[in-house]
Amino acid sequence: MIYAENLTKKFGAITAVDNISFEIEKGQIFGFLGPNGAGKTTTIRMLSTLIEPTEGKIKIDGRTPEKDGQYIRSIIGILTETPGMYEKISAYENLNYFSSFYNIEGKTRKENMEKFLKMFELWNRKSDPVSTYSKGMKQKLALARALIHKPKILFLDEPTAALDPESAYMVRNYIEKLKEEDITIFLCTHNLEEASNLSDVVCIIKSKIIKIATLGELQKDRKGKKIEIVLKDSSSKYLDLIKQFKEINDIKTDRNKISLSLENPEKTNPVLIKKLVEAGAELLYFNEIKASLEEIYLELIRS
Amino acid sequence: MKNASLIFKKEIKEILKNRSIWLPILAVSIIFSVIFPAAITFGLEGILKDPDASEFIKRVFAETDNLQLAMLHFIIKQFLVFLLLIPAMLPSLIAPASIVLEKESNTLEPLIATPIKTGELLLGKTLTSLIPSFAITLIDFVLITIIINSIAYTKFKLLPLPTWDWAVVTFILSPVISFIITMICLIVSSKTVDIRSAQGIGAVIIFPIYAVVGLQIAGLFLLNIKYLLVVCIVLIAVCPLVLKLAIKIFDRENILTKWKMK
Repeated sequence: MIYAENLTKKFGAITAVDNISFEIEKGQIFGFLGPNGAGKTTTIRMLSTLIEPTEGKIKIDGRTPEKDGQYIRSIIGILTETPGMYEKISAYENLNYFSSFYNIEGKTRKENMEKFLKMFELWNRKSDPVSTYSKGMKQKLALARALIHKPKILFLDEPTAALDPESAYMVRNYIEKLKEEDITIFLCTHNLEEASNLSDVVCIIKSKIIKIATLGELQKDRKGKKIEIVLKDSSSKYLDLIKQFKEINDIKTDRNKISLSLENPEKTNPVLIKKLVEAGAELLYFNEIKASLEEIYLELIRS
Repeated sequence: MKNASLIFKKEIKEILKNRSIWLPILAVSIIFSVIFPAAITFGLEGILKDPDASEFIKRVFAETDNLQLAMLHFIIKQFLVFLLLIPAMLPSLIAPASIVLEKESNTLEPLIATPIKTGELLLGKTLTSLIPSFAITLIDFVLITIIINSIAYTKFKLLPLPTWDWAVVTFILSPVISFIITMICLIVSSKTVDIRSAQGIGAVIIFPIYAVVGLQIAGLFLLNIKYLLVVCIVLIAVCPLVLKLAIKIFDRENILTKWKMK
């Protein structure tokens, strides 16, 4: 659905996006992560035909921006960094205005407006000027605007940034529901838990792509695994034994729990378990603690 | 065209809700179309009593010894230049506001992310400025005609308006001036972020029109049909140039990367 090949964008001497390539399948949620200034917004702008890449190729739904920019803009919905609503006119007038640029029949348009305004709990305030709305309400209205024409592709730039926890939960659930409707979602967020829960594929970028993989692959590829051992008795008795393993690091004990990290669990774990049992330890649990996306992200960005 | 008219309708709605934009327009309009004509036409008797003023008016505004006719020429010529101010001033108030309001509300990016063509966006913004300017110029033309004709008829039993030069100013020169000022204001507005500075720049842009008005009032220059037609030809030739520049400025990438934003 979205294809980018060797995409580069330069602004004068500054390279905002440097030779990135990826492909996003129909119905996938693509988590696009990176620090501020990493080129996320620039990438969204290139993919949504708002700016031209300095180099590289883009295909959206099999079409190129150079030939079919207008078609591409008609099948995408964008939630920009700032909600961007006309403050003097009402929410309903705003939605009506933006949606009128799409080729949607008047009756369907009105039905969609009602549906989304009700869904985002804005229907009762639909006639109020947007200037009277809270930041969260504006964000929900902007999301409604991005969805009003039932896009095939949705670009979401920090969709839950300004929302209260309940609204954020509702929006996240809705994003998951959109996936079921085969809508492809390009999700930019600094909320790594959100990215972790929603994304099928995660792309970490800092001008260049640092890593692109599923969360499972990222966890698998990570150097060093964390292990947690739960014993029946106090863990401190076995601290010296564990310290004998040179390949084991970051050993921490807490009552009957031991956490540690090691490079090659397939090789070390059987030996470690054997030694602990021989020393009289009764093992209740032996778990690999999967690294969170936040941990992986920070490691990759810092490296 | 449909998208341009959508922009036009929304902009007008927003302008009508924004007093800081429409109040100056209303004030300018009332001053030039009602207060000035009424005041000067009523004050004619005073001018007629002053022999120096009468001589000056006879010499500059009409090659005739008929003072009454000279006075009518004086009125018509003076308000002809005032009528030029309206199509110049209104776009300088509306066009920058139209862009700056978009910047203030961060609506340009979501707007250009719709299937709208940038030409349609530019056309919509242009119409927002051109149509009210032309409509108000027409209304002012009608109002001035009624006021001057009724007072002139009461005092001198004459109906001096409309004339050919008034028709040229109203129907050719005014839209052309409005268009050029609109384009320049739209171009300049890409570099400003608040309405006051944008309109301040707009006021500077229309300085040549003030100069024409000032020169004529001072008696150093007199607009006639020949001058007006030459000016029309020159300005019509300028139109494609400013349009080309505006189209370049209104490119999506330029809007997002080169325009000064809040």
